[in-house]
Amino acid sequence: MVVGNPARAQRRHWTVRTALAAWVAIIGLCAGCESESTSPAGVVGVFGGVGLGPGDFSYPRAIAAEPGGCVFVVDKAGRVQRFNPEGQYETGWRMPLIESGKPIGLTVHPDGRIFIADTHYSRVMVYDRDGNLLTSFGKPGIGDGEFQLPTDVAVDAEGFLYVSEYYGNDRITKWSPDLQFVGAFGTEPVDGVPLRRPAAVVVDREQTLWVADACNHRLVHFTRDGEVLGRFGGFGSEPGRMRYPYGLCLTPRDELLVSEYEGNRLQWFSRDGRSLRVWGKPGRAPGELNAPWSVCCGANGRVYVLDSLNSRVQIFKP
Amino acid sequence: MSGLALALPFSFDEPRWLWLAALVPVLALASWRSLAGLDPVRRVLALALRGMVVLLLAACLARVQSVRRSDDLTVMFLLDRSYSVHETEQQQEDYLRGVCEQVPPQDRVGVIDFARHAHLQQLPMRGGYFLPPGRLPQMPGTDRTDLAAALRLAMAMFPHDTAKRVVLLSDGNANLGDALSEARRAQADGIPIDVMPLWYRRGNEVYFERMIAPTYAEEGEMVPVRMVIHTGKPVSGSLTVYQNGQPLPLPPEQTHVTLSAGSNTFYVRAPVTSTGAQRFEAGFRPDDDNADTVPFNNSGSAFTFVAGPSRVLLVSQDPPMDAPLVEALQRERVSVELQSVDKLEDFDLLRLADYASVILANVAAASFTDQQMKDMASYVRDLGGGLIMLGGEEGFGAGGWISTPVEEVMPVSFEIKHKRVIPRGALVLIMHSCEVPRGNFWGKEMAKKSVDTISSQDYLGVVAYSYSPGGVSWEVPLDLCTNKVAVKSKIDRMQIGDMPDFDTAMRLGLQALTTGRGRDAAQKHMIIISDGDPSPPSPRLITEFKDAKVTVSTIGIGWGAHVMTVPLSNIATQTGGKFYAPRSPRELPQIFVKESKVVRRPLIVDEPFTPRLHHVNSELLAGIDAGETLPPLGGMVLTSPKENPNVQIPMLRATDDGNDPVLAHWQCELGKTVAFTSGRWLKWGAPWVEWPKFSKLWAQIVRWTLRQDVPANFDTFTRLEGNRVRVVVDALDKDADYLNFLQFGRSTVVGPDNTRIPIEFHQTGPGHYEAQFEADRPGQYLAALDVHDAHGKSLGTIRTGLSVPFSPEYRDLQTNEALLRQLAQVTGGRWLAGVPAQDDVFSHDLPPTEAKRPVWDWVLAWLLLPLFLLDVAVRRLASWLAWSIAVELVLLVVLLFGVGMAYGPWYEKVGALVVAELAGWAIRFRYVPGVVEFLTHSVVVLAHAGERSAASLQRLKTKRQRVREGLEAKDEVAGRGPATAEPEARDPALARRRFDVGDAGARQAAEDLHEALGGARTAGDWQEKRRAPAPADKGEGAGDEDVTSRLLRAKRRARRDMDDRKDE
Repeated sequence: MVVGNPARAQRRHWTVRTALAAWVAIIGLCAGCESESTSPAGVVGVFGGVGLGPGDFSYPRAIAAEPGGCVFVVDKAGRVQRFNPEGQYETGWRMPLIESGKPIGLTVHPDGRIFIADTHYSRVMVYDRDGNLLTSFGKPGIGDGEFQLPTDVAVDAEGFLYVSEYYGNDRITKWSPDLQFVGAFGTEPVDGVPLRRPAAVVVDREQTLWVADACNHRLVHFTRDGEVLGRFGGFGSEPGRMRYPYGLCLTPRDELLVSEYEGNRLQWFSRDGRSLRVWGKPGRAPGELNAPWSVCCGANGRVYVLDSLNSRVQIFKP
Repeated sequence: MSGLALALPFSFDEPRWLWLAALVPVLALASWRSLAGLDPVRRVLALALRGMVVLLLAACLARVQSVRRSDDLTVMFLLDRSYSVHETEQQQEDYLRGVCEQVPPQDRVGVIDFARHAHLQQLPMRGGYFLPPGRLPQMPGTDRTDLAAALRLAMAMFPHDTAKRVVLLSDGNANLGDALSEARRAQADGIPIDVMPLWYRRGNEVYFERMIAPTYAEEGEMVPVRMVIHTGKPVSGSLTVYQNGQPLPLPPEQTHVTLSAGSNTFYVRAPVTSTGAQRFEAGFRPDDDNADTVPFNNSGSAFTFVAGPSRVLLVSQDPPMDAPLVEALQRERVSVELQSVDKLEDFDLLRLADYASVILANVAAASFTDQQMKDMASYVRDLGGGLIMLGGEEGFGAGGWISTPVEEVMPVSFEIKHKRVIPRGALVLIMHSCEVPRGNFWGKEMAKKSVDTISSQDYLGVVAYSYSPGGVSWEVPLDLCTNKVAVKSKIDRMQIGDMPDFDTAMRLGLQALTTGRGRDAAQKHMIIISDGDPSPPSPRLITEFKDAKVTVSTIGIGWGAHVMTVPLSNIATQTGGKFYAPRSPRELPQIFVKESKVVRRPLIVDEPFTPRLHHVNSELLAGIDAGETLPPLGGMVLTSPKENPNVQIPMLRATDDGNDPVLAHWQCELGKTVAFTSGRWLKWGAPWVEWPKFSKLWAQIVRWTLRQDVPANFDTFTRLEGNRVRVVVDALDKDADYLNFLQFGRSTVVGPDNTRIPIEFHQTGPGHYEAQFEADRPGQYLAALDVHDAHGKSLGTIRTGLSVPFSPEYRDLQTNEALLRQLAQVTGGRWLAGVPAQDDVFSHDLPPTEAKRPVWDWVLAWLLLPLFLLDVAVRRLASWLAWSIAVELVLLVVLLFGVGMAYGPWYEKVGALVVAELAGWAIRFRYVPGVVEFLTHSVVVLAHAGERSAASLQRLKTKRQRVREGLEAKDEVAGRGPATAEPEARDPALARRRFDVGDAGARQAAEDLHEALGGARTAGDWQEKRRAPAPADKGEGAGDEDVTSRLLRAKRRARRDMDDRKDE
């Protein structure tokens, strides 16, 4: 039934139909927007979460990836956990002693062994990928073959190991492939400033040793014999500067990728010290970081960043 | 009816309002006529909607509830983890796992374990028991069994919408709470308790039943001590008795004894050679260790108060300095015992009870443990003892006594509260995340302790590594510590981060102390709490600290073993501070008392002054004239008098900016306390020592504080009965007559951890009074009973007490089957066999549960109001299309927000949209031909409107002429003349006829008009066509065109008549 003036009814119906169409369109758009949840900043996965169960973390502090893609994480509960490249929990084990403190360094040797800097017990523990303890080396002290607080391990092409340590004995010690002490370096000032808390070490393809000199907010590079090649960085938030670089790894392009503990970001550097890119900001959302202790590059161009205070690992493709 | 009620998914809280539903038919009848203007469909719809609105209104007033009935079951398992069944833990866990293998998928399992306290280990969850084997956490307080607490917790944890069952795994030896009362509550709630008994029987067990010594004895008396030892089997062993910690020499037949099965009683007589409390302890050790199972129950203890002259204990930091006071008191025949604080042993409540008063002469708070300070406060408040504190570098606030229990009982506050200019201290705390378990917790506890012990006139700030926004920052900015509660609350909320290095934090603190808020502080101090793993500070920074005279103390949290000690120690020694590596958290309070003392040095006034008499009527000043000039004193510690009318200040130091108490006293509950803020007799008080009235004054002060004991004709007796202690007082006067109607005011028992247990005495016979209290912890229980006669006159204080050597948990030798069976019987529970396969704990033999939830507000918001809107809409919106859109919108809003589909996944939102659209289109399709026609019509009209307009106008003109001619012809045929118009107009019947052209004429006119409009039909035509024209309607009106034609004709006739009249 249509009553009244036909022309007026006509106008009314056009108005109603237009409003209806607009309303449907808005609802559709809203629904569409919601279903179309693209992750920010290239994050392709997040795993972990606070807890003590398998796959959970309690303030994780070190991460490393196998060439095959599996990722190992050690947390402040003294647990080492292995995940597949997608972040699915595979296995885990506990450090034998954790009363004094927990490890803050973890490295996967090219031959598959897992080297864990058992920081507060002044030693490096060596495991196979299933958690079987193979051996350990180092003891408390400041002499040859001794550590104060070891932080990280790097391996060069010939199998020599480089262990960074701090606490009054901030230096790098070199060990032979059969785990015998070879020498120490890094105690001499670099540009007038000695190393302060070398938090991470890595050896690049050209066999240059890179050290994240955390409390001096810089990267220092050495030859394998301890000769200083240079340094760059400095405290600050602008690109090219750093705030407590704790994590360091090499990208497939042989760039240096640094995680800044206080800066809450990742920063890529060329080998000549140019800042190439910055990623991340403080926060809890995907793409945001809270005290990232460590970072590693996995298979298929994935970067795994240890978002420590958020007790999780974020995977992204740069 | 009840069956129907059970089947309905809703119920009503106040069903009397449902009578409103009877109004629906009345409303329908009343509305039928008023809605006559609507078409029949709308009329029915409107009535239906109105009726539903009334029904829903009735439902809302009746407080409609949704009812969810469920056959699901929740079983709470209660695991007994007390000492008596500690060997059955594995058995209990295995049983739990066994029965949970059969759990139906919809049923839930919750787990509570209990001993002294009950702990929830698993919330009621579907899927069984989830804790991994052996992962039940360690149970604290296994020395007691509080079955009642476990049942209470279980009942609180049950979800409301399932059937409930408790499965109790226990030996039934409950020694705390009242399990049967809780079982009765469970029975009232319909919760059965199934019992799986944990069986055991200890044959080889020896335990002390009791040890009894008289409450009072006289010096020189031989005190009889009785020991009752129980054994299950004959056993031989050695018996040792100690008096005040020393072995009591006993004849050989009493040191090696043979016990027969059952209770064995032994007597020893102990000589009493000193006054005060005599402690007796005894222990039995069987020759064969296998003859005994539980080692904790092989000892007993008791004590006796030995009357004697009142003694005073003077605790001194520097005994030679306090020797003049001791000599003065001795001259006045006050029995005083001088003890160096370093050599103080067994300084507990029982030891304090030996003395009638205690003097703390310039002793630092750090010399005592927290427990000892609590004991001193209990000694004053509850046992009626006296306490005198003397000043010095270690006295009052300067000695770290701020916010201690001792300050609470003193007549002065150790803070400087009035506004005056005194040098301030500044303390900065740097807190770093510690690796050891609970390291951060202890760090925060220490920080809070330092807030307590610092003066509100001092500066305090806390620096920590913060993750948000990241970096070292002030968690508590350096400022006056006036609001301690707020500061402690901030510390509690702190998230202490892992500091990479000390340098940044120390520099931040140094800046605030030297150039910031703390720059005017006289003492500047920093405390670093850490496990020592941040990178150490640079040498340059250490030099800056030394130059600014800021001392740094470091505390390594790691309990000795796990601290990077060297760098922390270096920081402290290089800056003039101290390094502490506490071996356990217990050492922390003392450390902080010592450390915060550093910033409180300004509380000491090290300059001579002459005290002035103030409250001259004070009993302490007897013998001193009001106008007398007191000798000068060399210094004092600043304090503030407490704002309490009982506080008297006989002496003070007058200054330009206020008065400071020198001598203050008050009665604090049962005891009396005195503060003398000066002291150090050889340094500050030399003129006082020379003063002739020195001895007399101090004897008066000390005697005023002494505890007053009651006459000896009061006899008390205490006895432990299970968990309860019975205290009996028999009161006789000096003529050995019974003392009746005595009043026991402020009677409190002080427990082992200084808990105050109020007790109430009832007279149960002539001169016979009894009270009871619960003793749930092993240790000493002491009481001072303030006795008044029937007229309220104080008769003095009775001291009594009891020693509870061990928990009754260690006396349980077998399962308490009686209690367990009673629990099952009271609640209708079952006696389980303990075999998981047989015990069907998940059997659904309980009545289904009903979960009711009030939904009237939802009905009102999302049903009643929308239907009301639709009711209005169905009457007011003429267009079905508009009404369909209204229905669609209302339905969409209700589904999205009322049902909550807007908060669900995307498909729920789409579903809501689809449902609303379907409803809308269902209404629209009923009238779709009309809508289509209307739309078509509109389009055609719009399309041809221009070209037809001119032709239409012409046709209209032609038709008008033809109609006019036709009408004139009819008038002529009728023979009406203009002269007759007047009388016809006055006749209503004739007048009506004048407006009526007849049916044929009207139809002709309508067709003419239709033709003039170009053949298109109006909506009215469609109505006309659809409705078969009723014969009766033909004459009255045949559509709007008939009326128009008649009106036109009538108008013309009227005009002609008017013209004719004019012509006339």
